Amino acid sequence: MTNTPVITLKNFFEQAREGTLTAVRCDKCGALAMPPKEFCPTCQQRAWTPVPLAGDGTIASYTIIRVAPARFAAEPPYAIAVVALREGVSLIGRVVDIPLDALAVGRPVRFRPIVRDNETTVGFGPA
Amino acid sequence: MRRVAVIGVGVTKFGKHERSSAELFAEAARDALADADIGPGAVQALYYGNVVGGETEKQLHMGPQAASVLGIPTIPTTRFETACASSHAAFRHAVMEIAAGVSDVVLVGGAERVLTVPTAESTEYFAYASDATWEQPLGLTFPGVFALVARAHMTKYGTTEEQMAAVAVKNHRHGVLNPKAQFQKEITVEQVLKSAYVADPLKLYDCCPFTDGGAAVVLASEEIARRHPRAVWVLASAAASDSMLMQEKKDLARVPTTERAAAAAYRQAGVGPADVDVVELHDCFTIAEIVATEGLGLFEPGTGGFAAEKGWTSLGGKLPVNPSGGLKSKGHPIGATGAAQIAEITTQLRGEAGPRQVEGARIGLAHTLGGNLATVLVSVFGRD
Repeated sequence: MTNTPVITLKNFFEQAREGTLTAVRCDKCGALAMPPKEFCPTCQQRAWTPVPLAGDGTIASYTIIRVAPARFAAEPPYAIAVVALREGVSLIGRVVDIPLDALAVGRPVRFRPIVRDNETTVGFGPA
Repeated sequence: MRRVAVIGVGVTKFGKHERSSAELFAEAARDALADADIGPGAVQALYYGNVVGGETEKQLHMGPQAASVLGIPTIPTTRFETACASSHAAFRHAVMEIAAGVSDVVLVGGAERVLTVPTAESTEYFAYASDATWEQPLGLTFPGVFALVARAHMTKYGTTEEQMAAVAVKNHRHGVLNPKAQFQKEITVEQVLKSAYVADPLKLYDCCPFTDGGAAVVLASEEIARRHPRAVWVLASAAASDSMLMQEKKDLARVPTTERAAAAAYRQAGVGPADVDVVELHDCFTIAEIVATEGLGLFEPGTGGFAAEKGWTSLGGKLPVNPSGGLKSKGHPIGATGAAQIAEITTQLRGEAGPRQVEGARIGLAHTLGGNLATVLVSVFGRD
């Protein structure tokens, strides 16, 4: 066991910017987590291994934001979805390049990074 | 552990105010002390709730400030922040202080002032209760959080926008009967359905308003409460938490935080959902009321919308929910909301709620939810 984190948030978003999503898998019980944590919520061990994810999944739920926080005031309407990824963890992100009226629970989507002002956020586009 | 009772309650008018949150709290506390028929000198501690005062009033360290404005600056005091459940979390800790024998009389309450800033700004501050790394940078709003729940509930159970509208209509009908409510006007299902989308599928009239206001309750040990014939017993006060992240919810159509807090509260109180006569619960959005009634075990998962549409949760129905008008109509000064819900349940169990009285109410329940379904407080109250 090492004292350094398996993956930090900074690492995660650096890798996401290059197109790769990284989760962590518990070597003791097999649970998958994202974001990473110190201890496994399932078995309370600390035995994580980073694992890359394929990036594809389906929309578990979504919304279209029409009244935005002040710093996003010029952007509505925009869509945000919780996406159930193929490996069994979920990820929340902006949905881009899919018409708002074509959004549906169960629709397949694929991860893509959104980089703005040097900040990387999670996005999903057509599968 | 000693028994604890509510011996006094006070709530300001909810709406827009030109006074600081500390002043609003002081007004509510003054009324609560008068209701308890005790002086401020009897208060041994203050447990205080506030959420966005750092942003809207540029004010931290609000416990001593509130105590000072009230005129009792030297008592121990702490501010609690659990997003919209703040003063209910404060309440639970105050109950434990008295139950443990540390104090005999404790003041609990909270206040919020948000109508000082424009909607886009308050929308941003409320979003601070979602995750700053994973959620805020996406532009996720608080209505957006509950829209994700609503869409999942509609998909899994077939809940409709009409059923959600029925919750808003019912709570406005109740709010007409509450002189402290921000909105004392009835609305129709058509008005809800025609209102503009804020975060699909939630529309403006599915959402509670931004509100200024304060609320306070006086808690006392059994020995003192015995001298107060209108005392209402705290039968249970329980809390539960969960991951804040919407992506870590295993089922977005359910709120396990509510289920766990309710199970603990029922166990403490020795009652079950069928014993409850009146409920004040956290209807920050219409879907929030539906999932709360299900999580509290009042209705089966997936049937909360049906129950609202059938009128079962209306005054005069089989289980009246939010006779005060709820957050939707009474208003939601977030730091004060939990204390205001407890004040309403106390008033109901005393039989003093006037035209909105739930006849013969003996057991009441207050449910308050904070942030991304990540904090829930449930307390149960009863009369002898």
